[in-house]
Amino acid sequence: MKNLIKFEYKVPGGKLIKIFASIKNGFIEEIKITGDFFLHPEESIDELEEKLKGVKIDDETKIRNILTEFFKSKTLIGATAEDFLLALKGALNRA
Amino acid sequence: MIEEWRLIELTINDAYMNMAIDEAILTMIQKGKSPNTIRFYRWNPSAVSIGYFQSLIDEVNVEACKQLNVDIVRRITGGGAVYHDYNGEITYSVIAYKEKLPEDILESYHVLCNGIVLGLKKLGLNPAFKPINDIVVNGKKISGNAQTRKLNAILQHGTILIDVDVEKMFKVLKVSDEKIKDKMIKSVKERVTSIKNELGKEVNFNEVAEALKKGFEEALNIKLSLGKLTEEEKALAEKLKVEKYSTKEWLYKR
Repeated sequence: MKNLIKFEYKVPGGKLIKIFASIKNGFIEEIKITGDFFLHPEESIDELEEKLKGVKIDDETKIRNILTEFFKSKTLIGATAEDFLLALKGALNRA
Repeated sequence: MIEEWRLIELTINDAYMNMAIDEAILTMIQKGKSPNTIRFYRWNPSAVSIGYFQSLIDEVNVEACKQLNVDIVRRITGGGAVYHDYNGEITYSVIAYKEKLPEDILESYHVLCNGIVLGLKKLGLNPAFKPINDIVVNGKKISGNAQTRKLNAILQHGTILIDVDVEKMFKVLKVSDEKIKDKMIKSVKERVTSIKNELGKEVNFNEVAEALKKGFEEALNIKLSLGKLTEEEKALAEKLKVEKYSTKEWLYKR
């Protein structure tokens, strides 16, 4: 079963994170993380999306680990790694 | 001794060329071939620029843009969607070697935005920097700014509203919830302002550019000397316009 989701998460007093994902049999098939935040270097967002593909949607520990590991070497402005987790959780809860 | 930076005076280009010139200078600075530069420009036709991470179809009303002859371009910087009205705003870019500015990104926003703040003060406004990346006058947003860094180079560009047409802005930018559009327009009118609104009179573009030039000179303790794009920058900008910024692949990347 395939399920397309869109979820918007507003960082309190900050930017907007919009998640677009397709979920197949409980796993992330495709995912795009969009919004008006700042991530340096910008191109690395593709890498994050790639890492999230194939992850089971209710495996919060894994998602958290991916985010922690990814943001360690990046600069995120207007949102935090925790905001990304909340945005992803919000999106995946809809699946 | 006061350092000299290059000034590229107010020019008018289309959206793709404007973004291509910024990237061309940024690339040449990475190669050590271009000087620290500040440029001012306008957009003809009027255009929407979206942030690097934004979804074009989710943020922009493509159909309305076509009808109103508004171009759409994706920036290499993050941040939000901006409507650049040909008659209503001026854009600046600062493209510089990294060591000229604070390493900390938030701090460097503050330093560069201070150039705008000082410039707007010269026009008689009472502006303030509002972190992360805005400038407000009387609590209302008048300027939004965005930054990227590549190797040893920094690019920050931003918009300064001279006259604002909120209705048109809402035609070309998408609102998440159409039902609350009227309410949103009203609230944006309460949250956004322009030089014309604040001064209660018309100001011309050259006056604004001149004030901003002086603002940047003071904020960065530099002297801006009129210069031109190099042949290499021009050639690279042409190439980036055709091969990157005006392609569907880049526009619809996200």
